[in-house]
Amino acid sequence: MSGFLHYFTSHFSTLRLEFWNLLVGGFANGFIYAMVAIGYTLVYGVLRLINFAHSEIFMTGGFAAYFVMKVFVPTTSTPSGMNSVLLIALGVVVGGVVGAVMATVVERVAYRPLRRRNAPKLAYLISAIGASYFIYNMAGKEFGRYNTAMPQPYINHPVFTIFGAPVEMYYIIIFVVGVLMLVILDRLVATTKLGRSIRAVAQDAETASLMGVNIDRTIAVTFILGGIMGGAAGFLFALNFGVANTMGFTPALKAFTAAVLGGIGNLRGAVLGGILLGLVESFSVAFLPGEYVDVTAFAVLVLVLLIRPTGILGERLGRSA
Amino acid sequence: MKVEPENCVKGVKHTVEEDEPMKLRLNKTVAAVASSALLLMAVPAVGLASTSGATTKPTYVIGYQGPLSGGNQQLGLNMVFAVQLAINQANATHKLPYNLKLVQYDDQGSPTLAPAQAQAAVANKKLIALVGPAFSGATRASEVYYRPAHIATVSPSATAAALATGINKNNFMRVVAGDDVQGAADANYLVKTKGKTKLYVINDASFYGSGLASVVAASAKTDGASVTTNTDPETSSCGGTASASQYTAQATQVVSSGATALFYGGYYCDFGLLLGALSSAGYTGTIMSGDGSWSTSLVAGTTPPTAANNVYLSEAGGGNSNLTGKLAVQYKALSHFSANNATYAAQSYDATNIILKALSKVYKKGISVAKLRSGLVTQLHKTTYKGVTGTISFQSNGDLSAKSIVDFGQIQSGTITSVGHS
Repeated sequence: MSGFLHYFTSHFSTLRLEFWNLLVGGFANGFIYAMVAIGYTLVYGVLRLINFAHSEIFMTGGFAAYFVMKVFVPTTSTPSGMNSVLLIALGVVVGGVVGAVMATVVERVAYRPLRRRNAPKLAYLISAIGASYFIYNMAGKEFGRYNTAMPQPYINHPVFTIFGAPVEMYYIIIFVVGVLMLVILDRLVATTKLGRSIRAVAQDAETASLMGVNIDRTIAVTFILGGIMGGAAGFLFALNFGVANTMGFTPALKAFTAAVLGGIGNLRGAVLGGILLGLVESFSVAFLPGEYVDVTAFAVLVLVLLIRPTGILGERLGRSA
Repeated sequence: MKVEPENCVKGVKHTVEEDEPMKLRLNKTVAAVASSALLLMAVPAVGLASTSGATTKPTYVIGYQGPLSGGNQQLGLNMVFAVQLAINQANATHKLPYNLKLVQYDDQGSPTLAPAQAQAAVANKKLIALVGPAFSGATRASEVYYRPAHIATVSPSATAAALATGINKNNFMRVVAGDDVQGAADANYLVKTKGKTKLYVINDASFYGSGLASVVAASAKTDGASVTTNTDPETSSCGGTASASQYTAQATQVVSSGATALFYGGYYCDFGLLLGALSSAGYTGTIMSGDGSWSTSLVAGTTPPTAANNVYLSEAGGGNSNLTGKLAVQYKALSHFSANNATYAAQSYDATNIILKALSKVYKKGISVAKLRSGLVTQLHKTTYKGVTGTISFQSNGDLSAKSIVDFGQIQSGTITSVGHS
């Protein structure tokens, strides 16, 4: 124990110096978690089920963007300036669109038939896991079971510093894309007719359908929105880590944790949970050996749930489709 | 019936007999095509055998265990083609009183998958010895089965020091130096040759990676450097369970620690992810890793690939570690990739040949496989073989008798260039 305390105190002085560095890195991870967590929380909102195939939507988005980058990024030189902006926008769009397509396929194949037959929730869970295994093994068979680098559409370099901590281009890309997409989604759900129908189904599906909300359509749209966020997040993740058929597994599990942490079913909660988880992980590296990153993340989850069983911004649980 | 696994290595004839446990997923179409192809091939083979009158020759299996799929498959592929080459050459002499056959056991380099493969190898009634296991953690998990079965396992690459500690007449032998040798040489290179006095040492929590990293950390401290250590377990992108996002946090920490050099103990797949994160975090210090990362696939798996530039690598090979000349040509004909930088190909070739040399001494007409297995363990400890990596003989604990040289390489514009040795 004294060894641990010594470790803790000796690291505390370095932590002060590293605070801003770790904050920047933590936010970068946090935004990716937040974007994936949105997918879990949206689907949970309308269907009261955890879409465990969401990790594969993340992976598919990453792979789709990878193939597009392979075509458009020249092998001889790294693009810069406006070309980089356009290529990254293209990557986000392709990742998002293909993520949405994959989410739709999962909804149609793994969930809708069960919903038609009024299957118990446990059946959804199993078909989700089945879909997840099928998709990532399919990707492994088609694209190889190893990690592949993403062609770089931009040159990474420090852009500015916050209190001495350099902020690299990669982090700025994540911030910009993440904030933009999260704000648009928030406005979409809060203000549009589409958003209203999603909220209505989440609150009480039966009454919503009596009020003329098309439940099937709303659920499909929910999956598409989650797919867009998840697929685009897959691209952002792959920009730094490349693509692999199993790349989605752990990040998505973390994002699920983030969604629960923030209060599952609550959009802003998912964002908050994601960013919080990113920061907790980042700072835990400063205090503890790296193998405790996951332990810290889940310890925080348990602590939060002990105090607030519905998560940080969680609300009472309603009925659903 | 013979069937061919779907993810079998191209160009290597790999057959799984029906009585063996099914190890790999099968693609029915491929299996059907392969079995009919094998039937066609069998016709001329039988014709030849009957004309030479050697139909009573027994067939013995040399096993290979290592990663042939998964995130670190390239290292396993490098090895298995060299084993196949040595076996092909032995069979091609037509002078041996037995036929030799290679059977692959794909453990993906994983300690959790290795026991099933080792059990399958032990259960193979024709298997007399094994080249491998390739990875240290997988080796530790496998030796539990090989040791009681008295099967000699000669590894081209399992370098963890603990594998050869305190065991006499070890059935596990290796044609590379242990990590005690490699780690000390790496620390000396960073601290003494490169003059780096502030080191950050990361390991991947594997049996191999943590062992190597701890030797490097300890030796660097002895050399007078200050050392910070950390552990980042293998990620789901590379067959582990941690999240690759851990490297973002790790990289920012490395940058702000002010370390002038970083050493990574682990395999190339996760090392590539770490390199990407270090580049994104703007780390500019010297970076080095060990033999687990000595692979050109490191560059292919690093985003961006330029982040792997200038990285130093070490390999406890000794002397000439590549297959060269005629051997390199034959190797490429089998593998369809160059023998240059095919890490552990030369060691695998030597490991196979020393087994074959010992076999020629132990073999008697009508000898049982059980006698061959234990006889080979004893004989290998008495055998000296002059191979492409140097003269090989084993100490009682399974380590090489000769003092080993550690090679250093550096990634320069996407390829590994030799920059000297210890």
